[in-house]
Amino acid sequence: MEQVGVIIPCHTKEEFDQQLQKAIESKKLVVIDFTATWCGPCRIMLPLLEDWAKEFPHVLFLKVDVDELKSVTSDWDVEAMPTFILVKEGNILERIVGVRKQELRQKIEEHHSTSAA
Amino acid sequence: MAVSGFEGFEKRLELRFTGADPNGPGLRRLGQFEINRILEAAQCTIVSGLGNRFFDSYVLSESSLFIYPSKIIIKTCGTTHLLQSLSLFLHHAKKLGHYISSCTYTRGNFIFPESQPFPHTNFKEEVSFLENDLPPRLSERKSSVLRSKTSHSWHVYTSRDPNMLETGAQNEVYTMEVCMTDLDRSSARRFFRHENYLSGDEAGREMTERSGIGSIRANSVICDFAFDPCGYSMNGLLGSSYSTIHVTPENGYSYASFECVGLGLGQGQEMEEVAAVLARVARVFGPGTLSVALRAPQGAEWSIGEAATVLEPMGMALRGARAVDVPGGGNVVFQAFERRREL
Repeated sequence: MEQVGVIIPCHTKEEFDQQLQKAIESKKLVVIDFTATWCGPCRIMLPLLEDWAKEFPHVLFLKVDVDELKSVTSDWDVEAMPTFILVKEGNILERIVGVRKQELRQKIEEHHSTSAA
Repeated sequence: MAVSGFEGFEKRLELRFTGADPNGPGLRRLGQFEINRILEAAQCTIVSGLGNRFFDSYVLSESSLFIYPSKIIIKTCGTTHLLQSLSLFLHHAKKLGHYISSCTYTRGNFIFPESQPFPHTNFKEEVSFLENDLPPRLSERKSSVLRSKTSHSWHVYTSRDPNMLETGAQNEVYTMEVCMTDLDRSSARRFFRHENYLSGDEAGREMTERSGIGSIRANSVICDFAFDPCGYSMNGLLGSSYSTIHVTPENGYSYASFECVGLGLGQGQEMEEVAAVLARVARVFGPGTLSVALRAPQGAEWSIGEAATVLEPMGMALRGARAVDVPGGGNVVFQAFERRREL
């Protein structure tokens, strides 16, 4: 079952790994949003990400709650929120820390377009 | 000096609260809508933000905001109406079950005082505005103006509720506020944008790297932003401690500020760290005049002349030092320096 146009929350490490694996196979750009319920700046980004998920249906938006997936958070060296990591075919392309609306948007456009088949 | 220009000197408000869930998110539960309303009253907006396990930080259109579970620090520059935010902070904190236990207001001296809105027109007005908005139970109050032989002076207002005990850890921290004017021209030039295709986020990161700001406190996670056509702001997060820098680089009224809360936290090497950080800051900006205000906790007060041992070898001369005790213990030491004229 393919979910398109929405942000997909990953509640277990298995779900997260599975989503990444699928994206490697489909060569999709993945935007991982490391977030926390208690993080004020994260709340600023949420509505934007929801819009972008609709606007870029070929980009996979994953959400990781840093309290829920502690091991994933530390594996990916996330120490401040929000952190956005852009991944394609298993490679980290960008790491954007903080509310950086313009930069994140530009990077999604850039890496999304290079993948357009 | 220019007849009028952008006012770099910030006004700073630090509010501490007691109340429910000391280990929970506390004031970090303040909603985005409420925060925006409060900032609107002060006449500024959020341009960027970054949080960690300990607190949230925001870069504002005019300086910065920090929200801890039981502490709020807001500093704004330009002609913002900072004190208009006070009653709104108190109101929204109360709705979350948090009650103010102490308030500190500090600022340097404005370059363009006649451009400031009420009550920032003079310190007396500011103090009476504060006293009017704060609850009477904050009964231990003190206001001081610390002057120097330079154009820099320091205004401090503190008040606290003697019957409310604040959570221990947050009282143990050092706060350093540095104001710098007449910046070295080539240093100031780095804070003008040259590449227009870069976003404010990316241009900000470039300025952080090029200027040397990135190595003032290594290991900080930095949130930076470059304004158009010039100007720069950053917040650096390091555990529960932060540093923040704001730069107005225009010639004639160039200004930069550095602030750090929680220096040397728990490492027992506060003196060494403050000295090293201060030296790096002075090296990045090469100011003609620099003043530093250090607020130290009780039992670890600073002695006059501490900063001189670092800045004098860099060609700065001490032009005034004052200290005042603050209600509840601890003190504020203010020292001003001027670049020695070359012979």
